[in-house]
Amino acid sequence: MADVVVFGYIIPVVVILAVVALLVGLSLAVSLYLTISLSVYRSVKQTRRDRVRPDLRNGLFDRLFAEDPDWEGWVEDMSSVEREVAESLLDEYLRELDGKEAVQLRGLGEALGIPERAGNRLSHRDVYTRLDALTWLTLLEHPDPVLDSSFEPSTPRERASTVTLLDSSDRLPDTATGVSMLLEGTDEQFTVFGQDTLYRVARTDPEPLLETASNEYDTWPEPLLAQVLSVCAHLETSVRGGELNWLTAALETQNEAIRAAAADALGSFGWRASLRDQVFLERATDDPSPLVRAAVYQMLAAWGDQEALSILLFALVEEQHPRALTLGTTALVGRRDRIDTDAGAVLGDAWAWSDEHAAYDRRARKSGSEPVGG
Amino acid sequence: MHSITHVVSTGLVLFSLFVIGYYAVVNSGYLVLHVLALLELRDDVRESRWDPPFRKFASPFYPGIGIVVPAYNEETTIVESVQSMLSLNYPEVEVIVVNDGSTDATLARLRESFDLEAVDADIPFDVPTEEIHDVYRSTTYEELLVVDKENGGKSDALNAGIWLTEMRLFCAVDSDTVIDRDALLSLVRPFLEAPTTAVASGGVIRVANACTIEDGVVKEVTLPKTGLPGLQVMEYLRAFYSGRLGLNRINGLILISGAFGLFQTDAVREIGGYRHDTITEDFDIVMRLHRHLKETDREYTVDFVPEPVAWTEVPSTRRVLGRQRRRWYRGMVENIVTHRRMLFNRRYGRVGTFVMPFFVAAETIGPLIEGLGYVLLPLAWYFGLLEIEFFVVFFLLTTGFGVFLSWFGVFSEVWSFNRYDSPWQVLRLLWYGVLENFGYRQWKTLVAWHGLFEYLKGVDTWGVMERTGFSTGDD
Repeated sequence: MADVVVFGYIIPVVVILAVVALLVGLSLAVSLYLTISLSVYRSVKQTRRDRVRPDLRNGLFDRLFAEDPDWEGWVEDMSSVEREVAESLLDEYLRELDGKEAVQLRGLGEALGIPERAGNRLSHRDVYTRLDALTWLTLLEHPDPVLDSSFEPSTPRERASTVTLLDSSDRLPDTATGVSMLLEGTDEQFTVFGQDTLYRVARTDPEPLLETASNEYDTWPEPLLAQVLSVCAHLETSVRGGELNWLTAALETQNEAIRAAAADALGSFGWRASLRDQVFLERATDDPSPLVRAAVYQMLAAWGDQEALSILLFALVEEQHPRALTLGTTALVGRRDRIDTDAGAVLGDAWAWSDEHAAYDRRARKSGSEPVGG
Repeated sequence: MHSITHVVSTGLVLFSLFVIGYYAVVNSGYLVLHVLALLELRDDVRESRWDPPFRKFASPFYPGIGIVVPAYNEETTIVESVQSMLSLNYPEVEVIVVNDGSTDATLARLRESFDLEAVDADIPFDVPTEEIHDVYRSTTYEELLVVDKENGGKSDALNAGIWLTEMRLFCAVDSDTVIDRDALLSLVRPFLEAPTTAVASGGVIRVANACTIEDGVVKEVTLPKTGLPGLQVMEYLRAFYSGRLGLNRINGLILISGAFGLFQTDAVREIGGYRHDTITEDFDIVMRLHRHLKETDREYTVDFVPEPVAWTEVPSTRRVLGRQRRRWYRGMVENIVTHRRMLFNRRYGRVGTFVMPFFVAAETIGPLIEGLGYVLLPLAWYFGLLEIEFFVVFFLLTTGFGVFLSWFGVFSEVWSFNRYDSPWQVLRLLWYGVLENFGYRQWKTLVAWHGLFEYLKGVDTWGVMERTGFSTGDD
């Protein structure tokens, strides 16, 4: 075989090939060893866990409905594997149970020493370890380790977890604090958990969220703005105060997804006189994007008063985009009891289609989804 | 004679040098992809192991998903498939079954089982498909819609569903695919975290042969005992855990499996839906999305999520597998030719400058070069140009590296979701990683050449997938 010159040195090809072969062989040996070892380790661990799970589950249910569960006595005799399984069962059932059973079950968490361990893990450098700790404290409704420590949530997930913990254990001072913890200084979008947390915190008192959004919406990245708008779309409609100019401004941004989300959000605030401005509504119903126009039609249908519905009907008569027309008509069909005009006569096929589908929806809902014979 | 020998010898030497260089570049690329995949998997595993304390079903933020199920002569399985789709764990689902001109009792079975009634009203917009005879609604399942149309092929059936759903997202699935109950909750994650930019996400396809499936749920995961499906398990693991995860790390995913992918409905409608004149519509749709969104300067993401899983039966005979792989190869070549403008074009970002060129080099040209090598080897030996020692070392090196990449996929599986939880099964998987290099790999190069000839001849048939059916608990 030939030689190769590398940086002035003459190296036989066979040497190069031998080095590469050594590297490949070593990689193969290492990956084989790691894969098999890991597989055996996980299998053994799983087998041990599976072996004790049924008995532990029965024991847990027996104590769950007992007057004195004596969790400490039960836990005392457990091996480390049994403790691990007990923790996983606890995690599973705390997510499913409410009320008295959940309260009783939380005692097992205390007996297993979870709050203390979780408290210690709040200062761990790994973010997922901290998140697990916060999750346990939430499931156990045990906020003290967070309140008594200098823990400061530093990522959007941690902020959401902390707010959920404080909110679920009634230790969140007020909505404004929750909103501020979730949104202040943030430039990242939420996970669905974060978005859901914002919604749960703001739904009974939307004003702090509206105020924060009004002040900061133009600094937020578009995905975050879209998420906040989506939260606003699900808020209580009884909000009296709160600045809405940012919502109408969002309806005129470049991004059609933001405009559509703004229209969805505005569906919750139809009683506001400021939104009844004719010029504003004309601009909204004339939006160049059919996606946004469809959202505006749904907004008008959500408002549901005579004036809004008649604007909607007129807009639909003029609508050229078949899908926007169908979506708008579907929204109008939902308000058919509030309109005097024979919408079917002016909207034709779109009305007939939407109306018939709405009738099928009602029928299916009425009959309920029972198992079918196969 | 002397000069002919000289020309052939020179040609063979040049080809050998090219092959060595080619292998070095492609395998380096694969190594980079695998490392990227491992980093991506690490993040995904950490993310998926954290279960935040909230009730997903009570959350209003999961966008509605229309599950589009094209069905052609599926009378034996369609009812069970639809029931399985209807029972997926997701807050808002609409199942749109498109009966694509079946000649058997597919529609009758659906009508009978789900109390379907035809909608009298005309569809108020144009649906760019073959004629739609009727749209049916279930009087018991609000979320079920059945479309009965003239036969037009899978793309046409998918388009009918896409045009008729009002959901913001749609999930394209094959009617014989079994989706894990919670899979949609994970697959939708990119759309929740990037609501303004996510246009598509794909999950993992796994091999269902030998698995036990009851009531549309995979109850027991077992590695197929026969060689061919087992080798495909290895291939699927490598493709999903290495290729797609690695490409996802650089936002360069160019393929989402047609058996399980989630798309933004409007984005797909905007590009005219699935093309009828392609045999790999799933590959084409993702390429066209990339192309369209880049050309219109839109910010977007196409994501791969490794946790949600859909199960499918793979061919268990060489004849059917060969037919499937030839179709895949023809479709790949067809797509590369169709979208050749994107190659080395900076306008298309990483997809144009890195992903497509690498894909062409590794997946399209790779098997052809390898096949050619097998033909030229005896020639080189005949002309006395083959250094047996060099050839053996080179073969062992490339094979060894190939095995290493396959084992990397198995390690990723064990380290992450560990569906094959018995070490014996893992050992067998590792063995398949070795075995595929002796015979199977060489056979695939033959299939690639066959596929190329079929493409050049203009063959555009799908071929029939012959299924033996899933194992059930009663078997």
